[in-house]
Amino acid sequence: MLKLHQMHTFTYLEWVSRVRVNTQAVLKRAQSIQGQKLPKKQWQSAWLLKAVTCIDLTTLSGDDTPSNVHRLCMKAIQPVRHDLLRKMDMHDKGISTAAVCVYPSRVADAVRSLKAANSSIPVASVATGFPAGQTPLESRLQEVRSAVNDGATEIDIVINRMLALTGQWEAMFNEIRLFREACGDAHMKTILAVGELETLSNVYKASMVAMMAGSDFIKTSTGKEAVNATYPVAIVMLRAIRDYFLCTGHKVGFKPAGGIRTAQESLVWLTLIKEELGSEWLHPHLFRLGASSLLADIERQIYHEVTGQYAALHELPMA
Amino acid sequence: MAGPTTETVFNIFRSMDSGPAAPSSAATAQAWLDHHSHSLGFFIDGKFVHLAERRSLSVVDSKGGQVCGVLCAEEADVSHCAASAVSGFKSWSLLSCYQRAKVLLRLVGVLGLHAQCLSELAQLCVTACSPPSLIRLLQFYSSWAQLRDTLLSGWTPLGVVAVVTSDVSSVYSLMLKVLPALAMGNAVIVVPGRSVAPPALLMAQLFSGAGLPAGVLNVLTGSDVTLGVKVAQNPNICYVTYSGSKPDGLALVQASAGMGVPVSVSPCIGATCPFIIFESADINSAVDEVIEAAFKKKSEVHWVLCVQESVCENVVDRLKLRLAGLKCVSLQSEADRSLVDTAVQEAQQQGATLIQSCSAPPSGPLYPPTVLCGAAPASPCVVSPAPGPLLPLMTFRCHKEAVAVGDHSPHGLATSIWTEDLTLALETAKNLSVGSVWVNSHSVVDPCLPVCAHKDGGSCTDGGQEGLYQFLRPSVSSPPIRSSAVPLDYSKFGTEVSPAVIPDPASSPPSYLQFVGGKACKSVSGCSVAVQSPGGGGVLGLCPEGGRKDVRNAVEAALKVQPGWQKKTPSARALSLHALAKGVEAKRQDLATSLHTQTGVSMDEAEKEVELSITRLALWAAYCDKVQGGSLPMPKSGSALSFPEALGVVGVVLPDESPLLSMVTLLGAAIASGNAVVMVPSQKHPLPTIAFIQVNGQLLSRAGQGQGQGRGRVGAGAGQGQGRGRVGAGQGQGRAGAG
Repeated sequence: MLKLHQMHTFTYLEWVSRVRVNTQAVLKRAQSIQGQKLPKKQWQSAWLLKAVTCIDLTTLSGDDTPSNVHRLCMKAIQPVRHDLLRKMDMHDKGISTAAVCVYPSRVADAVRSLKAANSSIPVASVATGFPAGQTPLESRLQEVRSAVNDGATEIDIVINRMLALTGQWEAMFNEIRLFREACGDAHMKTILAVGELETLSNVYKASMVAMMAGSDFIKTSTGKEAVNATYPVAIVMLRAIRDYFLCTGHKVGFKPAGGIRTAQESLVWLTLIKEELGSEWLHPHLFRLGASSLLADIERQIYHEVTGQYAALHELPMA
Repeated sequence: MAGPTTETVFNIFRSMDSGPAAPSSAATAQAWLDHHSHSLGFFIDGKFVHLAERRSLSVVDSKGGQVCGVLCAEEADVSHCAASAVSGFKSWSLLSCYQRAKVLLRLVGVLGLHAQCLSELAQLCVTACSPPSLIRLLQFYSSWAQLRDTLLSGWTPLGVVAVVTSDVSSVYSLMLKVLPALAMGNAVIVVPGRSVAPPALLMAQLFSGAGLPAGVLNVLTGSDVTLGVKVAQNPNICYVTYSGSKPDGLALVQASAGMGVPVSVSPCIGATCPFIIFESADINSAVDEVIEAAFKKKSEVHWVLCVQESVCENVVDRLKLRLAGLKCVSLQSEADRSLVDTAVQEAQQQGATLIQSCSAPPSGPLYPPTVLCGAAPASPCVVSPAPGPLLPLMTFRCHKEAVAVGDHSPHGLATSIWTEDLTLALETAKNLSVGSVWVNSHSVVDPCLPVCAHKDGGSCTDGGQEGLYQFLRPSVSSPPIRSSAVPLDYSKFGTEVSPAVIPDPASSPPSYLQFVGGKACKSVSGCSVAVQSPGGGGVLGLCPEGGRKDVRNAVEAALKVQPGWQKKTPSARALSLHALAKGVEAKRQDLATSLHTQTGVSMDEAEKEVELSITRLALWAAYCDKVQGGSLPMPKSGSALSFPEALGVVGVVLPDESPLLSMVTLLGAAIASGNAVVMVPSQKHPLPTIAFIQVNGQLLSRAGQGQGQGRGRVGAGAGQGQGRGRVGAGQGQGRAGAG
């Protein structure tokens, strides 16, 4: 592999388009990750709290209104019951979710709720014709600008799958560059929609192109495709992140999203990141979990660890 | 430092440590050991036999603590056990295929219930054991038990089979021998290595719980190889098969040579396997897998990483990152630690650079996963690897060199190659001289895969249909005759001088020559041996007295021509065999006369043997293009292909009976599949063989085979050749069946 800085972007794109990934080997690796022993006892609690601080607490529904967005923001500020945190001596360690993630039209509501609660939790907005990305470029760019104007400091853009599937990597690179400019100072997370990219090789290529075009994070899926965040896909994306780091020295973050519902799964995700990239990636500025119902399960697990009893759903505050 | 119980959530939250591994429980296994008062007897005739007066050996766990004691079997126990196995064989072989299959299948259920106990016990004894893989073995061989008479008609079980393993082998490799033996209808005496003894005894107990008749599966414990030899000496044993380390295997073969009991060995432990990464590989996957192969799995082999020069830097960068998080690997003992330290120092002195997950702890049986960059085939860490998590890394320039570097070792067990290029993968796999090639994967094992290592990798095919033939003989053949052990002095072997032949001008028998490298020649020593006529009435002729150097010359000649012979098209080989048949046909009268005068059979019978020999040669000619591999039904994803390959140079020691027919049978099988042959005719009846060679000399020199002849001696060298010959014939679906 050639060093990025020695090459013209075009040659590099040329190289990216020839990369191949061995599916069977990746599947085997995914299996071995899932078979690993997970942390127990206080290690489990600590890891679960880490997962909480990496969650982008998300609501992306047609029926979102200011009131349920408000509830979500309040849950983001206090994700785990205060008395449970106190028992672990974690109540004053600033445990909150990493961000709140909403549609562009709800950004203003979320910003207002969080501001009223004196919270600095960032608001993330999906944009660029989420989830399909099949709207004109100009309107996609406009979406990004308006979300940023409304106070979103993180933008989750979706890539144009048409360009990826037809191998127009340079065009995709240019499009993402435009989004990057429109984001301004806001963090940009690029959603690859892996469920629609057909092959793992395409996932690797799309990851590389997205990082080269200036993404702060690469994200697996919108949560709206048939297949979302799976471990094999994640392995390929994490390896791309590692390769990009080896070439440029630049660390890009990773965000799996869609279908992550249980505390157990969140522990597997943390294990995977730790194994592939190391502990320094286990931090909200380099790792996020896109989820809505995951938090409730994590809170139940923590309840069990702290009290030794299983919680009924109604014993824990809803989002 | 904070202990595990006092570590605060906040500290872990910051460090993201994984915490201590949950202590593994061994309660079930301990209960079983308690039940046996931590002293395990032999398993004979369906029950434990505990003799207080026997010496006891202790089995220790990874920390050196005593797990339990096993008894040391003596001569009397061996005969007791063999007698029970003989009666076990009677009842087991009388059952129908369906009934035998049912017993094996029932064990699947029994094993499911007691898997916890078995894996705990194996863990205590520091042996590898995975119940799911044992269940797969049972299912695979229970269906073979069912199908024996359908798919292997004309084959019959051997009788009592001894399975010997060395101290470190896994339960899987033990059962890979035991189960096919049982499935084919044999009774088995297991001589397990010390650490695998307790799990083997438990398995035997579970088997009898599943309804295996008493005496069919017996376990004798003791010091493995010495006891193995004692068992092999018992006249009731029909076949000995061994799995484990190479020195022990060699000792077993030497000690049991000349007793008339076939011994085959699979020295799979301690072999070196190359892990080859080409520039066209998915390098990230390859790096992950080599780490798994070399450091994570409890592996019985040593890996050597070979990387194409153009991507070496990439591989090293990724190895550094991926190794960073790994914990130290526990070694077998303190002694191993000093061996590892020495090996690393030696490598560093020779300029190797280290990639380590962390620096090595000052002492103790722990060592971090370590890659030794800059190793070469001549480095001590490659030639004689230390027992620890060390992975030498070598580079190669081109595809051809990858094969050369990977192949240039005495081990021929397996290789893992990594490339996304299909053509390259297939070509490399074909050119490598190893038993298994894993493409973009490693350590794939399954009973459906026949494994037959090349070079020092043993004399035995295990697994697949091919692996079954070692436990069978053709129904038409008679069981081999046992001879009593002859003490052999290997330092003098092959150099004895035979009694001089006193010239007798009155008779002046004709003298014959041996045939090496296409030429008729005398023996190197110049000595001859007289061939007696059947009644003992007189000397029929003088044969050269072959010795050590004759064998060397013959092997050398055969080695030279074998690759060319193997590369010939199957139809070209078939034509040669047909020509041999034609040659015999043309001289049928001469050959029949030679048989008649040599063995004393009637002319009628001699003519019949010649006739049969002609058909036999035609049969092998027909097989030339019918010996085929194919795809194998792997239960996991991915596909498996098998390609039949010639063994190389095959040593054949001919029996006294039916000298012509037995010769063409073995010769035909070997050369039909592309081998060259070094053949030793029967010492008693060499003349028909010589007559055949005289008839067909011209043809044979083209087919390229050497023939040393004279007094047939069976020793370690020839013994191994013989074993391989048998496997070769097995692959060709036939054996020396004279009749």
